[in-house]
Amino acid sequence: MSQKQTRWAIGVLGTSGVLTVIVLHWMVFFWVPTEATMGIVQRIFYIHVPAWWIAFLGFGIVGLCSAVFLWLGDERLDRAAVAAAEAGMVFTTIGLLTGPLWGRVAWGTWWEWEPRLTLALILWFIYLGYFMVRRTAVNPEQGKRFAAVVGIIGVLDIPLIHVSVTWLRSLHPEAVILSAENPMNLDGSMGATIGVGLLAFSLVFASLFLARYTVAGYERELDLRDATLAGTRAVEG
Amino acid sequence: MRAYVALVWTIARKDLLLEFRTYERLTAMGAFVVLIGVLFNFSIDTAVVQPQAIAAALIWMTIIFGGMLGMGRTFSLEEQDGALTGILQSPLPLDALYLGKVLANFVLMSVMVVLVFIVFLAFFKLRFSGSVVTLVGVLAFGVLGFVALTTFFSAMATRSSMGESLLPVLVFPLLVPVLRFGATATDRLFAGRPVAEVSGDLRMLAAFAIIFTVACAWLFRFVIEE
Amino acid sequence: MSFGLEAVGLVRSFGGLRAVDGVSFQLEPGELLTVFGPNGAGKTTLLRMLGGVMRPDSGQVRVAGALADVASRDWRHRVGIVSHQSLLYGQLTTTENLQFYGRLFGLTDLKIRIPERLESMGLSDRARTPVRELSRGLKQRVALARALLHDPEVVLLDEPYTGLDPHASAVLREQLSSLKDGRRTVVLVTHNLKQGLELADRVAIQVQGRFSSVTDAASLDLAGLEVLYHDAVENPA
Repeated sequence: MSQKQTRWAIGVLGTSGVLTVIVLHWMVFFWVPTEATMGIVQRIFYIHVPAWWIAFLGFGIVGLCSAVFLWLGDERLDRAAVAAAEAGMVFTTIGLLTGPLWGRVAWGTWWEWEPRLTLALILWFIYLGYFMVRRTAVNPEQGKRFAAVVGIIGVLDIPLIHVSVTWLRSLHPEAVILSAENPMNLDGSMGATIGVGLLAFSLVFASLFLARYTVAGYERELDLRDATLAGTRAVEG
Repeated sequence: MRAYVALVWTIARKDLLLEFRTYERLTAMGAFVVLIGVLFNFSIDTAVVQPQAIAAALIWMTIIFGGMLGMGRTFSLEEQDGALTGILQSPLPLDALYLGKVLANFVLMSVMVVLVFIVFLAFFKLRFSGSVVTLVGVLAFGVLGFVALTTFFSAMATRSSMGESLLPVLVFPLLVPVLRFGATATDRLFAGRPVAEVSGDLRMLAAFAIIFTVACAWLFRFVIEE
Repeated sequence: MSFGLEAVGLVRSFGGLRAVDGVSFQLEPGELLTVFGPNGAGKTTLLRMLGGVMRPDSGQVRVAGALADVASRDWRHRVGIVSHQSLLYGQLTTTENLQFYGRLFGLTDLKIRIPERLESMGLSDRARTPVRELSRGLKQRVALARALLHDPEVVLLDEPYTGLDPHASAVLREQLSSLKDGRRTVVLVTHNLKQGLELADRVAIQVQGRFSSVTDAASLDLAGLEVLYHDAVENPA
């Protein structure tokens, strides 16, 4: 893609993403019927659930790109992994903030050591580590490999953390949409709202991802130019 | 295979020899353990809280924090006079370097864990009525999992501008399963519950230790190579 | 006949700065190449790549005709490295240091080999002394004994004279000249023109990661080298 095309793609994805988010909010507040047992607070779920799906998608991309980056050593994979990690971090934060809002009403407390919430919090910190090793590595090339390694170890650890937190008592509502016995027990309009939520966040994710990926490419070019300049100056001075 | 084991042992032996000549890391870890016991003594009001009830938590948190002090320095002793360059130039396979370090660190941690139990049983008059063999198993696998990750990430921390202070940020989130299964099992054993109740925890600890020892040994070259 | 040591288009950059930028040379067995260059010319980086300590971004190293790849370990016993750091453990004795490295190189006759080596380097009375108690000069002698313990065909020396007093320098020079036994290939990196030229068969000047010229040392005297050196530093290729 040329620079111009990339900019267009980011603009189109971003704009349509924001518009869909607005439509989503209209649907959440004015269109979708109130769920019978959980009441009005259940409406946050149309934002919370798609945010989590996208967050996990992001981390999936991080793990995959990290592994292939270590294998092939292609710069672009590293850029894709950072882009996915940063975008994924945004949605993890959304999930972490909307969870307690719901929990305050449904469980009566802001924070509960409930498996999924705990897992999410730990995940958030693993990816904080991912960014920190990148930033602080003495040699930036090494920093990329360090980050990739953290990504892989993190993905390996997630199932174990999952088991360790689910052996605690669970308060989280069962996964109503993808539960095995009852694959789609949602009202049609609720399903539509979830669908729109997923679409909205996917578009936003895609635009953030593409923008960050492109910026990482520019950063690389700038680094190269700086280094060449510094080299020239060192000789002239 | 025998040659490989000999190489792992060469690294571990060298690390232990260095440690038993200076006692730097063991002194730091040992002093921490005794002092934290003293501090816990002042921070727990025994009229309200029974130390016996929170024994496992105290023990495991002490193991993890005290262990951090020693493990963080795993690679700084290689960097002092550039010895790591000599090792990297040699025919030693890099996973053998990692496994040797893990073995030496495991020995140091075992010494510390024994001290933790002596200190806590004495200071807080804890009574242990469960299966000692099972407890040793829980501690061995828990500590191996801990050592596998901290040894690995200390190589990374040594090469970052944050140094050892990066280590807890990287390792604590990953250690949740060790703490979770280790402390639960220890709790139950202290309460004298049957071994069957902790066999699940023990299996998870073993799985954790094996998965990360193998994975980190394999990934180590990406961390140590320049 | 194959070359003792061969570099083909070695490149290594750090965060965009090309520390070594396309270095190639070929050395016959028994030849000593001295690489001169100002600080930051990438000499140490070059040497670390030749020793398989650092991975080149592109290019190859060949030792006795065989590819010396960072990922493989089987060629490494043919190479020994001495740096301006001692690469020794200060708390361990001379013998313990040599035992450790001897085992890493898979040597089995250490009980005989180490005393012999210490004897020949005049270190016998220091066998049981912890290395940190040795003077800089003695320490550098142990460092040399360490690098030569496994009888490497290729010896890499990175600023070995750093921090040595005149007497210790003279002793080290004597020992380095004994390396020239017609069989060993040696690369010596230094910024000291006099010390570097004394032993050299061939001379290269590295500026900004590149070799400006590789000349026969026989045709050069110190004054001639100075002219060549200053010209290369001021007008990099």
